Amino acid sequence: MFKSTRKIVISGVMAAMLITLGLLPQGFIPTIFGVSLTPMHVPVIIGAVLEGPVVGFVLGLIFGAFSFLQAAIAPRGPGDVLFTNPVVSILPRLFIGPVAWAVYELLRRIKEPLAMAAAGVAGSLTNTILVLGVIGLLHLLPWTLIGGLALTNGPVEAAVAAVLTLAVVAAVKHIETGRRGSTV
Amino acid sequence: MAESGEFELLGRMTIGQYLPTGSPLHTIDPRGKLFVGVLLVLTTVATGSLLGLTLLLITVVAGFLLARIALRYALSGLRPLLPFILILALLQVFTIPQRGAASVLWHWGPLIITDASLLAGITLIGRVFAMVLTLSLLSFTTTTTELTHGIEHLLLPLQAFRFPAHELALVAIIAVRFLPILAQETERLMKAQASRGADFGRGRGNPIRRTRRLLPLVVPLFLVSLQRAEDLVLAMEARCYTGGRGRTHLIQLKARHRDYAFVAALVGIAVLAVTLSVISADHCVQGWLAGML
Repeated sequence: MFKSTRKIVISGVMAAMLITLGLLPQGFIPTIFGVSLTPMHVPVIIGAVLEGPVVGFVLGLIFGAFSFLQAAIAPRGPGDVLFTNPVVSILPRLFIGPVAWAVYELLRRIKEPLAMAAAGVAGSLTNTILVLGVIGLLHLLPWTLIGGLALTNGPVEAAVAAVLTLAVVAAVKHIETGRRGSTV
Repeated sequence: MAESGEFELLGRMTIGQYLPTGSPLHTIDPRGKLFVGVLLVLTTVATGSLLGLTLLLITVVAGFLLARIALRYALSGLRPLLPFILILALLQVFTIPQRGAASVLWHWGPLIITDASLLAGITLIGRVFAMVLTLSLLSFTTTTTELTHGIEHLLLPLQAFRFPAHELALVAIIAVRFLPILAQETERLMKAQASRGADFGRGRGNPIRRTRRLLPLVVPLFLVSLQRAEDLVLAMEARCYTGGRGRTHLIQLKARHRDYAFVAALVGIAVLAVTLSVISADHCVQGWLAGML
């Protein structure tokens, strides 16, 4: 039995968050290159940080599957065609959760807030680097274009992920230790 | 509560709806439908042949007729996609060189149309149509409960390899049940923030600004959902949920003859479609296209 009740429920709820973020009109922010920015990887990171690498892995799987279906059924930009290939959409996403969790565990002793933000950055960069890496390796796009995409999307997504992870995880942990009013 | 405009979410996606028309297609075992649905979608991707795709399209349309669902409804779900599909198809036709092009039909500077690229463009359009229609039909004829039961049963044999089929099915159920809750919360949060002066205008401003606009919405949303998750865990444990081992089900899925017949028929069609692509029947179509123009 891999999962306790808690892990199952958190996975389900984060998965729903994923999908909701994906369906929000503001969820995808199309950049000039036609590949969309997305905060969808954040629930994966948060789920992983809170409940462990297995949850992160499953959430990554769901993220990838959703990304794949999105691209196949309701593409929002010309760049989405790339994601109809499951190796591009699903495979790299499996690592986001475990990597974020690992970073969090490593840095936790030093300083918690740092660990949370770093996990966010690490997870986001994993997403950016692996996805773009696969795209490059499969020769779907020229490397120069990929470099440009990495530079425009990467830091922004990483910053967003860091802020969100920090805010949410900090608030949740405080709620867990004692209901002492708002921390936001 | 009937206002629309900025605050309404999850608008007109026709996939995900369930239409109870009581047709024979509705009563087929969900496992069969799931298997066939996935198979057909994969076949769509696997067959590069236009003839094969036509075969699949005819099958899906026949399915719609059998299910007594108006094809028009499903097509209306496709309408927002049309511009993108057309752009992609045009890209294929005009710029991407294809192998096996027998003749160039027209060229102007860097833009070339060969008979092969024209075929590729049409195939692309056909493929998207086939995929969307298949998945739509699947969701139109199967309730969420049936779908989750079906998925869980299909994955059960993997349980022997310590694959947590039951747990994953539960994750899926919870996610689906939470979607409308989250949508409601999002709407409520957007209104609350807007009444305090936040600006959620549709897609204005550069990426940085739009991201910042998300924050006062997304963070509370996360917190609310995590809080509800805690409540759900408590509720489940209070009802003695102890995990999937040895669990039995209230609803048993029984496969009948007609289910096997259904699956067999569709596997046959899928195989035929792939064969058509393997033997490259498309050369005939290519030539015909070239001849026409």
